[in-house]
Amino acid sequence: MAAWGYTEVAGTPKFPGPTLTANEGDTVNVTVVNNHNINHNFLIQGVTTDTTAIAPGGNRVYSFTASTAGSYLYYDTLNSNINREMCMYGMLWVGPADGSAKAWTNGPSYSFQRMWVVGEMDKARWNDVAGSGGTVNTSVYKPNYFLINGQGGFDGMNNTATTIDGGVGQTALVRIVNGGQFAQSLHFHGNHVQVLTINGARQSSPYKKVDVINVPPLGTADVLFVLNQLGSYPMHNHTAQMETANGVYLNGVATMIIMR
Amino acid sequence: MKLSAMIKAGMAGLLALAAGVVFSAANAATINVTRCVGSLNKTLSGQTVTFWGFGTGGMMCTGALPGAAIEVGVYPAGSGMSDTLNLTLSINGMTPQENAPYNGHTIHLHGADVATAEDGVPETGAAVGGDTYTWTPTSEMAGSYLYHCHVHTVKHLEMGMYGALIARPKNTSGVFLNQLTHNTATAFDYVQNYVFGSVDPAYHTATGDSTVFADYNPVYFLISGNQGLTTSAPAMTLAAAVNKKVALRLLGLHSVNGTFAVKDGSGNAKSFTVYTQDGRELSAPQTVTSLDVSPGQRFDIVFTTPATTGTWYPQITYKNLRNGTAYTNGTVYGRVTF
Repeated sequence: MAAWGYTEVAGTPKFPGPTLTANEGDTVNVTVVNNHNINHNFLIQGVTTDTTAIAPGGNRVYSFTASTAGSYLYYDTLNSNINREMCMYGMLWVGPADGSAKAWTNGPSYSFQRMWVVGEMDKARWNDVAGSGGTVNTSVYKPNYFLINGQGGFDGMNNTATTIDGGVGQTALVRIVNGGQFAQSLHFHGNHVQVLTINGARQSSPYKKVDVINVPPLGTADVLFVLNQLGSYPMHNHTAQMETANGVYLNGVATMIIMR
Repeated sequence: MKLSAMIKAGMAGLLALAAGVVFSAANAATINVTRCVGSLNKTLSGQTVTFWGFGTGGMMCTGALPGAAIEVGVYPAGSGMSDTLNLTLSINGMTPQENAPYNGHTIHLHGADVATAEDGVPETGAAVGGDTYTWTPTSEMAGSYLYHCHVHTVKHLEMGMYGALIARPKNTSGVFLNQLTHNTATAFDYVQNYVFGSVDPAYHTATGDSTVFADYNPVYFLISGNQGLTTSAPAMTLAAAVNKKVALRLLGLHSVNGTFAVKDGSGNAKSFTVYTQDGRELSAPQTVTSLDVSPGQRFDIVFTTPATTGTWYPQITYKNLRNGTAYTNGTVYGRVTF
């Protein structure tokens, strides 16, 4: 399947793009070099504002101060969503100034965290067409592959960078960004999570407890998962067709919760 | 019986024994419910669509869309009392099902914090030939849940294998209360379940791993199994009185976006208050005039009918997942007269 991507090392695109991290107060300089044959750009939603196109062979530096702890989506805003569809998105997360394992300064603590970059692809109508230099009819979008951290189904359920896997008594901070064009309604089996932020809005304690978190296109959410019982449970998108890969079940946006 | 099922049955027996000791309060209940699976046809906009519904009966199961609601009691905090639900899925040679590997069915207690063995997921070991699923909700879990099949979910949800599962407050005498939670502010005079569903008829005839399941094109939209395309032919009706509290349990089994509202006959949106989400009481109730309900979510809401007689129309507009555009014929109406 055709895809384009951001990466740290020229020649090896990644999907999702590399995770960027900083602490509050850090000055961050990101240099983006365009080694592709069409224009691209780089926007960190809610952090940077420069959407100037970078021509093929060009580069651009984005400088900002990481000001507010949380999770952010970065993506290429150009080309009527086609560049995003081709996988040009990823996550920036910002921690508290002291670098501690808290969602924000004096915020909820966590034992470990997981980054979930979700999205989807319409292979036949978008990726294959754009990948071969054709013109995508952007009015029609029928995605048939649904992805968490670039994987679907059992791949996502077995990827230890994605699974919530830990000991009872631990707490996981799960950071979610949706780089796709479809809303993602994510269901945690057998457990409730606490909603810390939704679309960048920090919530107040006591945090709402839900078993479904809806993350709209370009949306973000941070949820706290308390590992409080032994067992193994799936987490998956509850929108039926998003549980397949081109119609093959069990696939799509899914991972596992494993409490030992 | 598979070994895993035998082990589980033994575990359930042990738990029941323990329950007799721990829950000495005489008014807690063990609620035994059985569901089978049966085919049913619905006529939607003149077209016949076949569903599989959870129902009751022996060999010849009468399926319903949605399956009948199941209520289990939750008691005041600190009472130490709990009801136990034992929900049995009965499957036999007449049960409609797919061919392997998607044969059989399970029941997933959606939103219930249960042990893995009660979660009804084949991929984590659930038997697909029938089983008993146990849940013992506690006081803070009052609210709305779902039960649904978790075999080849992309098809079986669409086939209508779902129903409402309610954790409803009881007093310490074991009597159900007309409240959403033990907070008396959630009291109601009337209550109805609005189970949201969307229907792509192609999903009803396709089986196995088919590219049909890669492309969802819903054309019929439901509340609790009914089309309600106009205010004069609503999916749900309720005859209430003036100055009364109406509670609606909003249960998202649809596979698209949805926005719920309550409007009068002129289309003016009326305020309602959201008290619970996903089976947990909100720390601060929210009074709003519209509410997005996404697949799998549940909300319990209350509105008060006015002092003068009239009619209001609770309604949901089903929307495209990409851009929130309303589907053609995508608004389904309920009706409350007072």
